[in-house]
Amino acid sequence: MARPPQAVASHCPYCALQCAQSLTLCSGTVEVAGRDFPTNRGGLCQKGWTSAAVLRAPDRLTTPLVRGRSGEIEPTSWDAALDLIAMRLKEIRDTHGPDAVAVFGGGGLTNEKAYQLGKFARIALGTANIDYNGRFCMSSAVAAMNRSLGVDRGLPFPLTDLGGADAILLLGSNLAETMPPAVAHLAGARAAGGLIVVDPRASATARLADDGAGLHLQPVPGTDLPVLLGLLHVVFAEGLTDAAYVAQRTTGAEDARRLAASWWPARVEAVTGVSEVQLRAAAHHLAAASPSRGGSGAYVLTGRGVEQSSQGTATVGAAINLALALGLVGRVGSGYGAITGQGNGQGGREHGQKSDQLPGYRMIDDPAARAHVADVWGVDPAIIPGKGRPAVELLDSLGREGGPRALLVHGANLRVSAPNARHVTDRLDALDLLVVCDVVPSETAQRADVVLPVLQWAEEEGTMTSLEGRILRRRKAIEPPAGARSELWVWSELASRLGAPGVWEIDAALVFDELARASAGGRADYSGLSHARLDAEDAAVHWPCPATDGVPHPGTPRLFLDDFPTPDGRARFVVADDVGPAEATGPDAPTHLVTGRVLQHYQSGAQTRRVAELAGASPEPFVEVHPVLADRHGIEPGDLVEVTSARGSARAIARVTDAVRPDTVFMPFHWAGVGSANRVTNDVTDPVSGMPEFKVCAVTVARLDLAAPPTRAPATTGLGRAATATEVPT
Amino acid sequence: MRLVVIGNGLVGSRFVEDVLARDTTGKYDVTVIGAEGCEPYNRVLLSEVVAGRYDLTSLTLPSPDHPRLTVLRGTSAAAVDREDRVVTTTDGSRHRYDQLVLATGASARIPPLPGLDHGGGTLPVGVHALRTIDDAREIIAATLNARRAVVLGAGVLGIEAASALAQRGCPVTIVHPADALMERQLDTAASTVLASAMPHVGITPRIGVGAEAAIVADGRLTGIRLTDGEVVESDLLVVATGTTANLGIAHDAGLPCERGVLVDEAGMTADRRVFAIGDCAQPPEGATGLVAQGWDQARALAERLTGTSAPARPDRNGSGLDVVRVKAHGLDVVTMGVCGGARPEDRRQRTLRLSDPDAGRHVEVVVEGDRLVGATCVGAGQVAADLVAAYTRRTPVPRDPAHLLLNALATSAPMASGEPETLPDDATVCRCNGVTKADLSAAHACGARSVEDLAAATRATTGCGGCRDEVCGLLDWLDTHAPAPSPT
Repeated sequence: MARPPQAVASHCPYCALQCAQSLTLCSGTVEVAGRDFPTNRGGLCQKGWTSAAVLRAPDRLTTPLVRGRSGEIEPTSWDAALDLIAMRLKEIRDTHGPDAVAVFGGGGLTNEKAYQLGKFARIALGTANIDYNGRFCMSSAVAAMNRSLGVDRGLPFPLTDLGGADAILLLGSNLAETMPPAVAHLAGARAAGGLIVVDPRASATARLADDGAGLHLQPVPGTDLPVLLGLLHVVFAEGLTDAAYVAQRTTGAEDARRLAASWWPARVEAVTGVSEVQLRAAAHHLAAASPSRGGSGAYVLTGRGVEQSSQGTATVGAAINLALALGLVGRVGSGYGAITGQGNGQGGREHGQKSDQLPGYRMIDDPAARAHVADVWGVDPAIIPGKGRPAVELLDSLGREGGPRALLVHGANLRVSAPNARHVTDRLDALDLLVVCDVVPSETAQRADVVLPVLQWAEEEGTMTSLEGRILRRRKAIEPPAGARSELWVWSELASRLGAPGVWEIDAALVFDELARASAGGRADYSGLSHARLDAEDAAVHWPCPATDGVPHPGTPRLFLDDFPTPDGRARFVVADDVGPAEATGPDAPTHLVTGRVLQHYQSGAQTRRVAELAGASPEPFVEVHPVLADRHGIEPGDLVEVTSARGSARAIARVTDAVRPDTVFMPFHWAGVGSANRVTNDVTDPVSGMPEFKVCAVTVARLDLAAPPTRAPATTGLGRAATATEVPT
Repeated sequence: MRLVVIGNGLVGSRFVEDVLARDTTGKYDVTVIGAEGCEPYNRVLLSEVVAGRYDLTSLTLPSPDHPRLTVLRGTSAAAVDREDRVVTTTDGSRHRYDQLVLATGASARIPPLPGLDHGGGTLPVGVHALRTIDDAREIIAATLNARRAVVLGAGVLGIEAASALAQRGCPVTIVHPADALMERQLDTAASTVLASAMPHVGITPRIGVGAEAAIVADGRLTGIRLTDGEVVESDLLVVATGTTANLGIAHDAGLPCERGVLVDEAGMTADRRVFAIGDCAQPPEGATGLVAQGWDQARALAERLTGTSAPARPDRNGSGLDVVRVKAHGLDVVTMGVCGGARPEDRRQRTLRLSDPDAGRHVEVVVEGDRLVGATCVGAGQVAADLVAAYTRRTPVPRDPAHLLLNALATSAPMASGEPETLPDDATVCRCNGVTKADLSAAHACGARSVEDLAAATRATTGCGGCRDEVCGLLDWLDTHAPAPSPT
């Protein structure tokens, strides 16, 4: 079937900003250009411009692979692979029970796939054990927003609203690297001198506050919560709150005020290293920009830097408390938001691939929710399992007594992206069956018993829900390579082989219709939407967008303007005191490690490390070391450095820079093998959200006296080899 | 188990919170006996109230509401009978205990100065300590008519009180008989730098001079006579000459006391059922009078009593509990660990100093092995905050500890904020797409003559668009100054 010659309107395959793109098929390959849209205003970063290269990855998977008796992985037919999977799953289920089969999803899957994967786990496999890599991404913000505001939508307002604010407090977000076109929306705050960035590192984003554009607070890693409690202290003690708003729209302020009374600036300084002068200045900026004091608006935004913590939920709760005290949330032009990371990090958590949730953001232990979803699925509510294990706990249980014996992985590269990654590899190796669906031989696929080649991005139809809760159409621009199949088709085939109840659509538009029905009446209500409506209006709609009898619901760009979806309609100050990071520095490990991203790479790098232009610009892992720390350890720029925690070591090239604190080193986490930062990170989790503490642990730093620089392996590797994109000799 | 806590101040109330949070099995029924009628409040911030920066309600601390907690406010403990394990209050009620925690705190010490004892322990009108909410209220009222205030004692509290009064607009003289301000923390050199900053914030320091008498007329203060004979006319005197632990009931109960109730490293007195924490306690390492130490004792005791223990935390190592920051507008003083003129010689220690009195700056660090064991910072700004972080976490010191004295200047590659001419070729102009000046120059050499041309050739400006001005500037410069194409 020939595609029409005109450009296809779609969105970028990477982060949650979901920049609008035009995809044009020229001589059999896709060409990418930026497309005007409110969030990216036609702009793209280097990742977006080069995104079509992933479609042409030389090691693209196009045939199912099965590990044979020899231990080598070998090509096979789809029928053989699916028969084998179904047979092994049945055996494991019959021997060990349905929870012995686990599913791990991803925040990059389309809404349709996220929905179908949750349904597949619950009624085709009958397992409670499904969770996804969004647990590593958004779970602390999610838990805190649900507790405080009654609903979790990353940005409960359009991104473009930021432009009118005089002050923006950005905590633990490096959006200048992670979603560069979003920087345009900070221009107003920068012009007003009100961009306040909290980051232990002078990141590219923190530098946006230079030259009078704002403030950079550079706390000791793991002390973001005391910084926020200190800001709350100043706001409460100096009488900067919006008293009328607090009285009318919130509960619990008194508890928050009392806790803040014990975090006076001098104490905050002693714990965080942020000076009293800076702390008060930040609070004064925010207050002056707040509507109750006549300002044009202020925002408090959080990112993974503060959320990926064993007290991430408490930290986001404190950020929300600050926004509530200033009267920002639910006011046009002000607010609190969490900056979602993965492409469909928002939609991915709404449709049922979380261990405790059903579609529509319904809780799995709510009988009414179970009944509604069971009705859509055409099953008895009793067969829907209960809560499963959250990601880190699930991974730790793999192959153990009472834990899962089989794991299906969709849209995740656990061996690089999970904390304490070598331990995760050990757990994967302990399984009886590991099935990985992917487009390229990711590090996780390399360990699998069965690999299924699936579709990506411009090869399929679907929807994504962006960081501002807006449902966007992802459209097909090119025929997939022969041999690769849609995951919707894979689940339909497996469901039939497993004798599953229910209907298993393979057309994304039909799956969306079912998803919309399942979401009706839920917190994230998509029931007023369909692919047809999204195509006809060529516009993206913010949820909730319930079905109506007459005029279609216009969607909801801004939440909370009238009330909060809590039992009493008010937002809640949820109060939690600081307990510090799980791992303190000490004589044995005196330096903090923080991790993060670089502009050229996305998450585990499985896609971007395969794009020559990106790999060329950012070829290898590195570790940022302050000149004073480098001097202490005899480290010169370019030296090979080993960073070691109680869990493991990683090796990378030293970059000597004062962007990091002298007590802290930084590593990006996009690489596998010995350069993998997540070999070092801590898998302790937040007790509320299950979020692991990626962002702070205690390490030693040493120069490796190896003369040889790291050799660079080919950008791609074949299956069955242990080699990774960057190998450093040991 | 009946747990009785005497004292509902900063440390007593924190201890109760800590115990209830850890007592997950419901082991304890807790009774708190607090002399003050109000809820617990943060005494540390009273000077902020006097300064007019905070209102009193913002000092209120968490007050746990718990089914197994009884709080008696405005009730003083009168006696402890250790044999029968009963606390009797002044209103005659009796409270049996299995374990008793004394958190009775300390009171302002009033020096035996002629004129101050107005009979029966009351003070003349115009003379106040600054220890309680009532003290703060009275001082604020007194500032309304005061022409000049005198603060007696230039320790941390005295300096904070003087600064607060000055912020209220009241001229202040601070009188300090020792040779250095805050002599426990500052040597004379540091003190001199601090003293020279005081007049700028409305404080007149009198160092090395004591008060000889308070001059009182009709029961009302009119001035202070100093030991050098000078009379400072004043109608408000704030006495900040230290504190005395409240030991009455401990002493009467026969518990061994010196400056405080003697306790072991875990807070236990000579009676294994009786514990003491906070300002009334005297632990083996000595009391600092700082709230950080009291809170640490509260948590440690709560962990001991409930059989829980938290993972080791940086501030549990003994270091970090003696950081002093003076909360005084315009006066920037931070000390920690080894500091002050009276410290003993220690050959293992190395002291480095940045002395910059003309700019109001004095920074001293004391290093032992690879650890920072003390610092004195006056006017040091961010350096002080960095030193506190290094000190409390025992961060290994730089190979040359002199680096601790100053924040190094930035060494990182500059962004494209400079003039096109001076911008290095490898400077990144468009971050979103990794485009350098050299890339743009090359595109210009290939014929790009507009921003759109440059964008098409290099993708510069096609991300967030923030570099558009820089690219325009570079284009103008290239149009006029472009070198002849190089033969590459």
